[in-house]
Amino acid sequence: MTEVRFHREIYRGTSVDEAVKVFAPHATFEMVEDRDHWVVRVTGKSPARERRVAGELGNYALGLTIRARGAEERKR
Amino acid sequence: MEGFPDDLVAVDLGAAAVSIRVDATLYPLDALYGASYIFLDRCYVLLDRPTPTEARVTLSWKKGEPPEGALRALVGEFANELLSCAWRSKINEESRAIIEGVTAQALGGAMGAPTLDDLEKFDFTDEAFEDPLGIALSWEEKYGKKKATKEPGT
Repeated sequence: MTEVRFHREIYRGTSVDEAVKVFAPHATFEMVEDRDHWVVRVTGKSPARERRVAGELGNYALGLTIRARGAEERKR
Repeated sequence: MEGFPDDLVAVDLGAAAVSIRVDATLYPLDALYGASYIFLDRCYVLLDRPTPTEARVTLSWKKGEPPEGALRALVGEFANELLSCAWRSKINEESRAIIEGVTAQALGGAMGAPTLDDLEKFDFTDEAFEDPLGIALSWEEKYGKKKATKEPGT
């Protein structure tokens, strides 16, 4: 199992949720929360696959967060 | 890692990853986002904020073993990009008021000529502008015959 911790001040919760939905067919996800982070636990078929899915999940969530923030800036 | 302070950069060779500690008071979140976005296609990027004044960027090599010196190059390029994004963010922040002013003027002009109601409400009581060349004078005022002034006793 690989744990990815998304800090609440950096990542949007909605972006993390959306990223998990996109990668749901490729691994098993468990989502928990702590005070500062959204924590996603990734379990894959192999360690290599798990690493890849966790990495791509992080990139996807970050990309969505940046895009959402950009759209918000343009509205202002 | 050679060329970088030990307290700022940590290397995990087993995971083919590097962690960079960033002073959040020097580099705003926008700069961090901007620099990270550029690296999304080359490596896995994870951002964290261990303390309120500090951010941590973890860059993990995407495929296989990284070639020799690749992680070092990654850190250097990321640091350069981060500095560039921070500088752009600062310029953007400083010129925001100017851009908003110019945009407001442009939009105001694009709204077209004022209506009769607008003109009726317009306040003309302000002092007239200076006109040293007499451009605002009518033809008669400027070139017309001057009225004969009555001389006393005639």
